[in-house]
This record gives sequence, structure tokens and C-alpha cells, in this order.
Amino acid sequence: MLQRYVRILCQARSSSNWNYSQILSVKQNAGIQYLLCFRNTSFFNKLPAEDIWRGVTAVSNAGKKRGRGKGSGKKVAKDLNKGQSLGMGRNSRVWPGLNSPVLRGYELVHSQKMTDSHDKVNGIIKLRDSMSNFRIMKLNPIDRGWSGSKMPGRSIGPPDSVGEEEFSSFDTRVLENKIVFIMKGNMGRKRRYSVLSVTGNGNGLAGFATAKAPEVRTALRKSKNRAGQKLININLCENRTIYHDFYTAFGKTKIYCFQKPDGYGLICHRAIQTICKVIGIKDLYAKIEGSTNVQHIVKAFFIGIMQQRSYKNIANETNLYVVQKQKAKNGYAEVKGMPYLPTTNPYSAAVADYMHFTLGNKIVLKEKKIFPFYFNSKGHQLYQTKEERFRNQAFVRLHDLVNSYF
Amino acid sequence: MHLVRQIRQLNGLQGLRHALRQVSTAPTKPATLKYERDPQPLFTDAETQKLLQSMTQLHLDRVFRKRTVPDNSSEIKFMTTEQLELEFQSMVEKAQHMLQMPPVVKIKEDVDRIIAKDPALKDFADTKFVFTDITFGRRQSERKVVVRETDGTLAYASLDTTKRMNQLYFPLDGRQSYTPRMFALEELIAKCLTEHKYEYVMDRLLVQYEPHEPEFHNISARVFEHLNESKQFDLLRSTRHFGPMAFFYAWHRCIDDLLYDMIRRDYLQNAVELIALSYKIHNVPVEYQETLAKLDALHPTPAQSALTELRSGMRQPEGQQGIEQEIHSAIGKTEKDFTADEISLQFIEQYIASEHALKKVQLELAVQTLKEVNQEKLQLFQGLKKAHGIQAS
Repeated sequence: MLQRYVRILCQARSSSNWNYSQILSVKQNAGIQYLLCFRNTSFFNKLPAEDIWRGVTAVSNAGKKRGRGKGSGKKVAKDLNKGQSLGMGRNSRVWPGLNSPVLRGYELVHSQKMTDSHDKVNGIIKLRDSMSNFRIMKLNPIDRGWSGSKMPGRSIGPPDSVGEEEFSSFDTRVLENKIVFIMKGNMGRKRRYSVLSVTGNGNGLAGFATAKAPEVRTALRKSKNRAGQKLININLCENRTIYHDFYTAFGKTKIYCFQKPDGYGLICHRAIQTICKVIGIKDLYAKIEGSTNVQHIVKAFFIGIMQQRSYKNIANETNLYVVQKQKAKNGYAEVKGMPYLPTTNPYSAAVADYMHFTLGNKIVLKEKKIFPFYFNSKGHQLYQTKEERFRNQAFVRLHDLVNSYF
Repeated sequence: MHLVRQIRQLNGLQGLRHALRQVSTAPTKPATLKYERDPQPLFTDAETQKLLQSMTQLHLDRVFRKRTVPDNSSEIKFMTTEQLELEFQSMVEKAQHMLQMPPVVKIKEDVDRIIAKDPALKDFADTKFVFTDITFGRRQSERKVVVRETDGTLAYASLDTTKRMNQLYFPLDGRQSYTPRMFALEELIAKCLTEHKYEYVMDRLLVQYEPHEPEFHNISARVFEHLNESKQFDLLRSTRHFGPMAFFYAWHRCIDDLLYDMIRRDYLQNAVELIALSYKIHNVPVEYQETLAKLDALHPTPAQSALTELRSGMRQPEGQQGIEQEIHSAIGKTEKDFTADEISLQFIEQYIASEHALKKVQLELAVQTLKEVNQEKLQLFQGLKKAHGIQAS
């Protein structure tokens, strides 16, 4: 067995392919041998540093033609030799002849361990990090948008003041930030950033605008300022919700919006949520049918809230009283809209359903519920039968405790 | 692990329950005033009920005020004039139903009613056995609960046991099996009273106890006594507790503070009714029916006035009593009101002069102030009428 091991070692040494191999350990255990081989050759130790760094920082000729690597200065070659001196490695040692004299007086200096210092290693890492000028931005969780550090959903502050007009109470939020291309006669495919943002004072004054620019920052600024120039006044019901349910559409996007009671919140698409926050709407349910293209959602929603009618107008249109019954007031009927000429025909009131009237006789599509494939299987039914008597059990137990002991 | 934690929680709760029981044995401070006779026949009398209802008044915005509910959604409807009218009527009916007064009855005494004594069954078990009739649809009061004692006696259960069994098999929403801390701890109830949460205490009391229970009498009397000192009577107006409160004061001859409050707020008819109620309860030989009849003819009932107020929100046919209506709404009183005020003031002054009134000076002052204000209003009313050329009817 020992002979065989030596032979392998010799083979390894003699073969040019196994030039850099090292045999780390050979375990001899119950007649089984393990041979662990490591190849320490790669382009890292074959190529000079310059070539390796070029591979990371530069763009190939073909890539340059396609317009890659325009964001210059994102990655810069680091000089890894900076902060290091010969003989000082990860293991701090005195190397006689390398980092210390070999003789001390008449005495021969031996290799010996120095005191460890972590600061030095950290210092080197810090130094290396500071050399590159690109860092992933760390965002405060409050400032985050819809997703990570992406722009959509993030606030970009109030629009810049125009003359003496200040937008002090305004807040602008980005809804869309994307790259768009156009073909130019002399430049070919030209790239720009398109930004859609909405600005508002949270009290019924809001506007939105799209702007394009070759730089993201410019596009953001342009769109923000343009939105500030296109403000629309929106009346809010009880300063928190919309006046009535409505249907609105733009292109293939259809939106059904529903008025909701105090404390309901915004249950809708994130773009509509952001717009509502900026306008000052606090309670709303909205269902989108069809395309969820953000530009279309914004346009459809703004059209919808601008086309709202007051209770008085609705009453005059139908010649019927508009009466609100609140459950919080135990069904107290409040007259909200009074017509000029109240109709006495009970048939018209029976036919006219308020929600159908405000939604323009449109009905939200009720999608058929798709059950999982195992739903009708015998096993699942058995499981449900078994679980049935434990449903709600925790709640019932809690209720019992509360009712009997306190 | 979870199970162990739950068991520990349960143990903790039991410990607490033990503590609470100890606390609840020490009752809250007893009230000073009690019904020594049975007040029920006088209270349920039709005339008394009418007086109390009139005194309670019916402000719809008070009855249907915004409350915290699990579902606070609202519904919007189209209605014709007729439908709206019907809706208003049903709302007033509903309000009247919500203002139904809890009965004032005497405390029910616990009596032992033994059915059978079977000495042969002695020591058949270590514990008593309670048998409850759980037939569906039977009223709580007629549900039979019997107990077999360990010595073999079979007897009807005590009121306490009957209530507990009823709550066990047919739980009433909001009623607890053990005394709520609010009623068990003196400092908690005192805090509620100092914060003037009278309606809340009364509502909770009504859910937790039956009107014939001593706790109900004690705590409600304490609330009314506290109210008489703090004089915040308006907090109970248009609630179902105003009637029992007025009855309580009339019964215990302490109506003067409530009367003063009524005069100050210009509820003169109510003041007359309160005095009449007091005369009725104590059999004072004063003829009050005539005055009441006169006032009834001049004033609409609370339900009627609530309905008129609701109707004012509807579109009025134009050109009908335009200017006269405007004068009334500007001054707040009509000609009828002035006549009624005169009759009421006469009756009230008669009461103040009699030996029944205790706070005479205070009441006289209030009446005097009201008279002056009324005089000014009357002058203004007549002047305005003259200016607009409306003939006095």
C-alpha cells in the first residue's frame, strides 16, 4: 500500500498537467485510501494584474459599439499592493532576511510570531473599499419605495418653487422610471430615461406628469416640476374618501372605485395607493380589470375622480332623494341630496339602484374561483372533515375565558 | 410546550378569579336611598309612563348617535318623497323602541321552596346536583331549576343559582358569569361616576343584572344620587334611563335640582310633568290633570316633534307660511309656546310656594330670569309680526 501511494506521488510530480498539485492528506483507514488534490492554477496566477483588472473594468470593442459600459467610473481598478509591504502577510511573522535582519549582534535571529493585530487587516479592507467610487445605496426603510431601492413609489420632495410660488406642503412620488429608446438619423439608437411622477398636497390638490431625459436625475426633476405645473383640484368627501362609487377607463385599463367607511384604508393597486396618499384620500377600494399599465392607471383614475358628481347633482338627475344610512348610527337615514322636483313615482326608485347608477350600469367581473387540484380528492376531504371541529377553537376558548373570569 | 403554557395561563387566571371572588364578597358602597314599597304598580301605570316618556324627550341625533361598531359601513339609497316619509316614521318608531325604559320593581327575596325530603337519599353523593330544564324557547323567568342537596332534600334553586344556570345554558351576550370588576371594585365604579360615565354604567348594569336584583337597585341608586349632586342631568336625556331617574327623584322627594335644570333649559312642560309625577306618587291633593291636558293640547308629543324636525330636511312646497315660519325659527317659539309657558309657569310657581319645594330661593330666581327672557322674546315676536303685517290669530 505504501508503495502504491509513493507511485501516485511520483506520477503526480512527473506529469506536467499535475504541476501545481499538492497532496494534502492521505488517510489510511480500514484499507480505503483518500487522495485529496487541489489545482491552484487559474488565470489569477497566470495573468498579470493589469490584464485581470481590464477584464472587470473595461468593455470589449464589440460591447462598446453596442453602447455598453457608458456608466463610466462605476468600477475602477484597485491597487491591491497599496498598504502592504514585502514580508507582511496575513500571518504576521518575522522573516529573517526578508523583514528583519538575520543577525542580531552575533546572534542569529530566528523566525518568530509577532503580536496579532486585527486593525491592520480591517484597515486594508477599508482602504481597498474606499478606492472604488461605486457603492450600493443604503436606504432608510421609511424612504423605500414599492421595491427595494428602486425609484417607483419613492418620494422626491416638493416641486421647485416658481418665482414666489412655493410648493411647501407638496410631496412628489415616482410612479414609473424606465429606459426608452428612439432611433436618430446620425446617432442610431438613443437611450433616455422616462419618469412618471405624481405630486400633491394631501388635501385635494394634485397633478401628474411624464418627462424624459438622458439622465435619471434630470428626468426626475423635470417630471416633478412639470407635475407641479399641472395641478388639479379634487373635492374630497368628508376629507377622506371619494363622493361615490365610480367606473372609469383609459385604453384597456378599467377601474372600479368604491367609497368606503372611515378606517377602511386603501385597498387597491400600489399606483392608485400612492396617488391617493398624495391627494389625501384615505379610504378606498379599487379593482382594476384589464391592463395594469401604470400610465393608463394614472390617467384613468384621474379622469374618474374628476368626473365625480355631487349628491345634489345626482338627486337632480334622477329626481329622487339620496339617503345615506350609516350602520354606526344604527341605520339613521340622512338626506344627502335633495332634488328640485321630487318624483312621486315609486317605480323609478325601485328600479334605480344607487350603485348601478354611479357605476354607469357596469358590474365588476366576478372571476371563477379556481380550487387547487387536490381539492376534490378523498384525502383532502378527509382532512377537512377531521379539522372541522377544531375550526375557530382558539377563539371560542378565549371568548369563554374572557366571559367567565373577568 | 404550547399545552404547558396554556395550562399555566389557566392556572394564573384561576388565581385571579379567586382574588376577584374575594373582592366581590366585599360589596360596593351601599346607596342611601331605597324603595321601601313596591314601586312597580305606580311605575307601569299608563299615566306615569306618558309623563316619563315626555320628560325623556326624543332627540334623534342623540338616540342615533355614532357608536363604535364592528362594521361601520354605510348604504346609500334612492328614495321618493313617500318612501322617505315612511322611512322617517319607522325611524321614530325605532327610536321609541330604543328608549323603552327598564322597569322599576322591588327587590325579589330569595325563599326556600322545598319539593320533597328524601332521607333515604342522604349521602348519596358528596356534592349537590342541579337539574335544569333546557327546553328550547322557554323564557328565563319560567325555566325550572331544582337542586338535590346531599341530605336528600329536593328544592327549587336559589335566584343566584337559577341565573347562573340560565347564563350557562343560554348565555346572554355581554353578561358575565362573575361580577365584572367595574361593579366589584369600589374605586372603579367611583372613577366611572366622577368621569360622568352615567349612561355607560347604567347600560352595563342593565346587561349584567336583572331589575329585581339588589345589586341593580344599589348601583342604579348610587348613579342617580351622584347625578343629583353633579347635576349633569342632560347626559341622560333622550336615553332609556332618564325615566327611571326622574321616577327615583320623585319617589324620594328630591326633584328640586332636576326641576331647576329643566327650568334653566326652558323645558317648562317637563318641569310641570315632574311636579305632577311627584304629586301623583305622594298623593298630594293638587289638581294637576287639568294643567297637563291643556299643555298636551298646546305641545306636540316628543315623537311628533321629532318627526317634524326630520321632515324639515325635505323639500317644502313653496309659498306656504313662509314669513311666519321664518319668524318662528328666528325666535324659536310660536304663539302656542308662549301660551303654554304662561300656564306652566303658573303651575310651577304654585309648587314653589307650597311646602313641597325645598330649594325655594334658587327656583324662584330661575323662574324670574326665564320670565324676563320670555317677555323680551314675546315683545320681539309681536314687533316682528306687526312689521310683516301678519294678523294675530
